Amino acid sequence: MGIEHLVLEKPLRFFDMESSLRLQPGRVTEMLGVSGTGLTRLGLRLLAEPSQVAPVVVLDTRSWISPEAAWETGVLPEHLVIVRCDKPRVWPKVAAALLEGVHALYAEVPAQIKDQDLRRLAALARARGVAVAMRPMGGCLPSGVAHLRLRALGVTWEGADRGHGRLKRRRLVLEASGKGSAGVTRRFEVEDEGSDIVRVVSDVVVGEARRSVV
Amino acid sequence: MWSLGRPDAPSSDPVLVVDDRVVGATSEVLSVGVTLGMPRREAEAMAPFATVLIRDPEEEARRFEPVVEVIEDLIPRVEVVSPGLVYVPVSGGVRFYGGEVTLAERVVKEVDNLVGHLRGGQALVGVADGPFAARWASATATVGHPQVVEDTIGFLSCLDLATLRESINGEELIDTFRWLGIGTLGELARLPREALATRFGNPGALAHRLASGEDRLVDPRAISPDLAVDAAFEDPLETLDAVAFASRALAERLLRGLRMNGVAPHRVSILAESATGQARERIWRSADPFTEKALSDRVWWQLRGWVEAGGVPGGIVRLRIAPADLSDRGRQLGLLQDETSRIEAERALTRAQALLGPDAVLQGRAQGGRMPQERVAWSRWGESPTDAARDPGAPWPGATPGPSPALVPPRLQPLEVEWDGGMPSRVRLGTRWEPVLTWSGPWRLSARWWLGEKDADRYQLVTSAGALLCVVAEGKAFLAGVYD
Repeated sequence: MGIEHLVLEKPLRFFDMESSLRLQPGRVTEMLGVSGTGLTRLGLRLLAEPSQVAPVVVLDTRSWISPEAAWETGVLPEHLVIVRCDKPRVWPKVAAALLEGVHALYAEVPAQIKDQDLRRLAALARARGVAVAMRPMGGCLPSGVAHLRLRALGVTWEGADRGHGRLKRRRLVLEASGKGSAGVTRRFEVEDEGSDIVRVVSDVVVGEARRSVV
Repeated sequence: MWSLGRPDAPSSDPVLVVDDRVVGATSEVLSVGVTLGMPRREAEAMAPFATVLIRDPEEEARRFEPVVEVIEDLIPRVEVVSPGLVYVPVSGGVRFYGGEVTLAERVVKEVDNLVGHLRGGQALVGVADGPFAARWASATATVGHPQVVEDTIGFLSCLDLATLRESINGEELIDTFRWLGIGTLGELARLPREALATRFGNPGALAHRLASGEDRLVDPRAISPDLAVDAAFEDPLETLDAVAFASRALAERLLRGLRMNGVAPHRVSILAESATGQARERIWRSADPFTEKALSDRVWWQLRGWVEAGGVPGGIVRLRIAPADLSDRGRQLGLLQDETSRIEAERALTRAQALLGPDAVLQGRAQGGRMPQERVAWSRWGESPTDAARDPGAPWPGATPGPSPALVPPRLQPLEVEWDGGMPSRVRLGTRWEPVLTWSGPWRLSARWWLGEKDADRYQLVTSAGALLCVVAEGKAFLAGVYD
């Protein structure tokens, strides 16, 4: 049994990968991927920079998001507010109320939310200049909502070895697409060592990634 | 109605002065149903015959300065809220002049002598307990007849809910109260405050306090003299440009210093010393904590008023701004660096709280513990944070090693794990079995046996779908976190 790795070729050129790991005012960043790929931690990490100057909010639909992980990624504890909303019926109203006042929001999106509501929320975020990261819990956001889509392609962990060691470093391979990546689909890898340092590993991106098991 | 007396206003035509809402209107305009505070578009539609003027607060402040000086000659410690509205603590003045009515009539007379001939220059004076009640006492006064309120609670109880609009800044909340069948402040005051605070958050509690005659609470913390800022100028400031530059810089310095202390000012005292040694001081008040722009504007208006009225002969040689009332509202979410953002966020979160209930809007604080579930002390947003039950700085031997799982269920969730020779081989995620690629652990979690707890083992399991934190106790596996 071996650890799954991504074998990556071809360096990335003319694409600022660091900027894709920053929320932009008035823009929606979609984070696509199943639970366990590390997108929650990455989404919380996106709030670290805005939290230095103003309150940031996490809209949690499962009541499972841990602020401890957010603090580890650099979010100021006194600026982090977690809003728990497990009712899809009121979720659009709550999201709209938050977009009216906060500067940055990480929102889990229940599967039942209508496309029309999501488009309205994106328009509201644009009008109010709110930086938003959305994590759809089922399917993906309708077209036109997200400025940048980050799709998790695979995750590998280092540090644990058949009972020895502990989880130390995660490598997450992401695919960026949409207007935010100049309309071109690109892949890159980020490293997370559990601190607020999340590194974008450059020159490791390919047109096509292929999986191998070692 | 002070805004009506501006020099460019037509002297005989109906006039409407607006910003987003109506701030001044002549009697002809008021007679067709326009009211102060009405949205601009609505007022314009109701009074198309009126000349509409956009409000110029700077000009109003400059013209209002002589009025403030007249009042200040009668009673010291005048607090200017906005051009046209001042609060004066009258306890000392009442003893000196022999009664509230005498004092109020004296103020009316002096102000009328100065500006009574101008349109909108007629003084409306109200006396009551606290600024909010006094504000509405003056609004119900008539020209030449001050409104002296003996029973403040009784007076407030008859007022319409709309009187809260400026103070709580929430039209929506007032509409909700009306929808609930509450029409007056008296009806609102009869509700339990705790219920309002729970349902509507801070604005609800504030509305109840005002309706009950308990005005805005400020934290009576000691104000250190170090928090005041001042600047001395070798060359006296005589031009308006120089004054503007100095006032803005000083206001920014004051707020920067206050933010470092996590507090925000509701009142500030502005003091200017002239080249001839004359000192002028004025207090400005605001319902919300001053933002940089709001404070800069007020300092500038005040200094301009003094300079243009010749109140600082020879120019300004020293400027000082001191906070007079501090609240810890700047501390509510911690040491925020952007006061405007804080206020906006507070409103948004209050709305979310109203939609979901107070238990759904939370903040966490670090506390000690061995499991991720134990390491966060939760408190409702807007309430004082609960004290950490366990010291987060203590070593906590045996704590689950970092990084922390991003998803932590509030209680351990049953998890199906298949074991092969004591080693985890497969884990069931939803409907499918995922092979365990690698793992770390077990780490023993020694339980408090004297409380009947059982020892447990922790594992970090890595699958192709991600990593999990798993607890095994008494032969059963539980999910304690997802490294998402």
